[in-house]
Amino acid sequence: MKSTSQEVFFTSPWVPAEWIKAHGLEPRGVWFAPQFALDSLPLSAGLCAFAHAAVRLAETQRESAVIFSTHCDQLRRGFDAVAGPACAPVFLFNLPATWQTPVARQIFAAELERLGDFLVALGGHAPSSGELLETMTHYSLARDRLLGAAPGCAGRRYAEAVARFHWDGSCPPSGDAFFRGQEGPSPPGSVPLALIGGPLPRSQWDLLDIIERAGGRVVLNGTEAGERSLQPAFPLETLRAALAPGSEESERCLQAALHPALLEALTRGYIEGCVDVFQRPNTPLYAWLKERLAARRARGIVLWHYVGCDLWRAEAQPLREAFGLPVLLLDADEAAGGSLRIAGRIEAFLEALR
Amino acid sequence: MNAPRKLTLAEWDARYDHLSEAGLREPGYGGRLSRHVALEGDLRLRQLRFDESPAALRLWNFLLTENQRLREARAGGDRIVGAMKDLGTVPVMAYSLPGLRAFYPDGAWWTPCLMECSDGLLRQAEALGVDASFCPVRAMLAAFQNGEHFPRPDLLICSAGAVCDDFSAVAQRLEKMGFPIVWWEMPRRRSPGPREPARVLPGNLAAPQIQVECVRGELERICKLLGELAGQPLDAEALANGIQKANQVRRLLASLRQAVYASPGAPLPALEMLVAEMLAIHFCSDREESIGVLTDLLAEAHGRIRAGRFVVPKESVRVFWVNPVADLRAMNLLEDWGGRICGSDYMFTHALDLIPEELPPLEALARAALADPMVGSTRDRARRIVAECRAHRAEAVVVSRIPGASHCAREGTIIREVVRMELGIPAIELEIPPVCDAMLPTLGSRLQALLETAKARRPS
Repeated sequence: MKSTSQEVFFTSPWVPAEWIKAHGLEPRGVWFAPQFALDSLPLSAGLCAFAHAAVRLAETQRESAVIFSTHCDQLRRGFDAVAGPACAPVFLFNLPATWQTPVARQIFAAELERLGDFLVALGGHAPSSGELLETMTHYSLARDRLLGAAPGCAGRRYAEAVARFHWDGSCPPSGDAFFRGQEGPSPPGSVPLALIGGPLPRSQWDLLDIIERAGGRVVLNGTEAGERSLQPAFPLETLRAALAPGSEESERCLQAALHPALLEALTRGYIEGCVDVFQRPNTPLYAWLKERLAARRARGIVLWHYVGCDLWRAEAQPLREAFGLPVLLLDADEAAGGSLRIAGRIEAFLEALR
Repeated sequence: MNAPRKLTLAEWDARYDHLSEAGLREPGYGGRLSRHVALEGDLRLRQLRFDESPAALRLWNFLLTENQRLREARAGGDRIVGAMKDLGTVPVMAYSLPGLRAFYPDGAWWTPCLMECSDGLLRQAEALGVDASFCPVRAMLAAFQNGEHFPRPDLLICSAGAVCDDFSAVAQRLEKMGFPIVWWEMPRRRSPGPREPARVLPGNLAAPQIQVECVRGELERICKLLGELAGQPLDAEALANGIQKANQVRRLLASLRQAVYASPGAPLPALEMLVAEMLAIHFCSDREESIGVLTDLLAEAHGRIRAGRFVVPKESVRVFWVNPVADLRAMNLLEDWGGRICGSDYMFTHALDLIPEELPPLEALARAALADPMVGSTRDRARRIVAECRAHRAEAVVVSRIPGASHCAREGTIIREVVRMELGIPAIELEIPPVCDAMLPTLGSRLQALLETAKARRPS
């Protein structure tokens, strides 16, 4: 895969990183970005710290591009706030909230094309079918491996591994301790928890340590860039078979025919693999959770949300009702550096669960 | 001739007696305004000041009897459609079919204000897991649950995508409470690319053809469902007729807004104008009657302008108001403190613009839906605000924040920035809760400071 060094930050895992990479640019999921700084904001402003950090990133990283997405009001309007030639090139990716109709796929496919034009204007190149397929394969394999590791490794190391995947498309090598579940045995009596909710960027990974120190164990990371962000899947075998080498002429024809098929696969993979709170209805999220909460025997849910994030906050009660599990709401904005208040809340929650 | 007055509820009762004796003729929903306090608990009316005209009486009675009229329509065999969030699109379709009535359950957000929270809706919404960090539209949840306000709709339709998160979250909660919802996608409107096929939208906007096609596709789906509910298909001819009727309402409103906002003094108060504008979105559940109500208001406004009789004097500061107020009293207060409304964007300017009648009806509706100020860039919205401020010589802009509303976190700053850059007039943001009495000192000092600043800028 040819690549220039141009970085393209993206703020939602449902913006296909493989599409950016196939254009020869470097997709960078903001959750791992060292320069992605969450400021403390006054509560009264009602601003989401994550969306605000995305705006600040666009204002300060002028040599990179930033892709916002429409999946929440704060990011959508954050894009509106970024203006002027002094800022990074920005793009707003229209993620459909619905998923059951051809129109949702039509919108997503059109956005892929538009993003492609944006990436080319940034200095990228329109990928050949081979390049695109190769990149999709690479990302798919990495996702599969990370998903396979999830049941045995869902603490801080897992959050780091998935965030790193969103940062550079990588996955720990197969011999890595990560895949052998060698994070050390769970302390006896530790309480299995699901961590669900909005973005958990690296500056907030202390939360995972706090949970562990308090006697909990995150068995399901359902935060924005956690395990649920790894669901997009593509029919790679079928696509690869179509791209099998033939004569030069037939290969040209194939290339022409395959490109739309690859885009269709990318679109379907993301629309059908999307598991998020903003979807309407958000039944895919509940179906995804139901299976995993049961399989991993989670005894409680920590719901991680930002100030101003109505989408997640409104789910606290439905989550309790749907799964019969206790739910602890944690405000993301409190957690930077591991506040005493948040540690106290987690300790009390776990104490009640023991 | 005396200037028209704004009356208290008690003063209106006395005036009502006088008008009745003089032969006042009213529609079936008419009557004393004070009965809404006694019968429906609309306690806030006791704090409001109303225009003294029979046209205003008709407007208020029309507004305050909506739930009752919906129940009567249901009892008479009509099917009820609950349209949510799109503010002005689905009702045009529903009213194109006989036997269907559409209303916005979203409107329940004013119930806590009208009933001064005696309805308990916000408290009940909190018990359902939707607390004060959400917009007051959360009252809708409790209204669905207790069934004491509007009748349960036969069909619930809600737009999703580029909509307010708090509304979307509340609607999703509603569905989980056992109220099935048909969701339709509203993409975030964007400007067409340089070589991209584009379509002109109402409101001097444009959108890429692909977005118009997507919305049209979604509306086609809604058309089929409405047809099934009505027992007859919603064909192009019926929809075209429905659009013409909707445009009749919109033309009346356009004339009313032009007459009132462009006039030297205000011939009608801000509060009545806010309520009148609201009629555009779903005709307050009776399209024909809304035409009558607006016709009366327009005649009253024209009569007063001709006579030079203004309910708000000429020297008042001309204010452009952005977003609807959670407490209706705020509109009275603005005038009490020396301001007047000369233009407004209550979040549904797309429901005020004419739906193109020369286009195939679904195409026209799709374009009108995409012109929604809340689905596009806040900068687009700000540009329209600036244009209307210019047209009506606004001296100040108020961006009214809705407590807990996700769109308010950013939009105010952007709108004020654009207004200041383009017009150089003062602009402020104010947060107005459903009952603002406790905030009167803060609200008053901020609004008065704005009005004084605007006055100080007048040429001496």
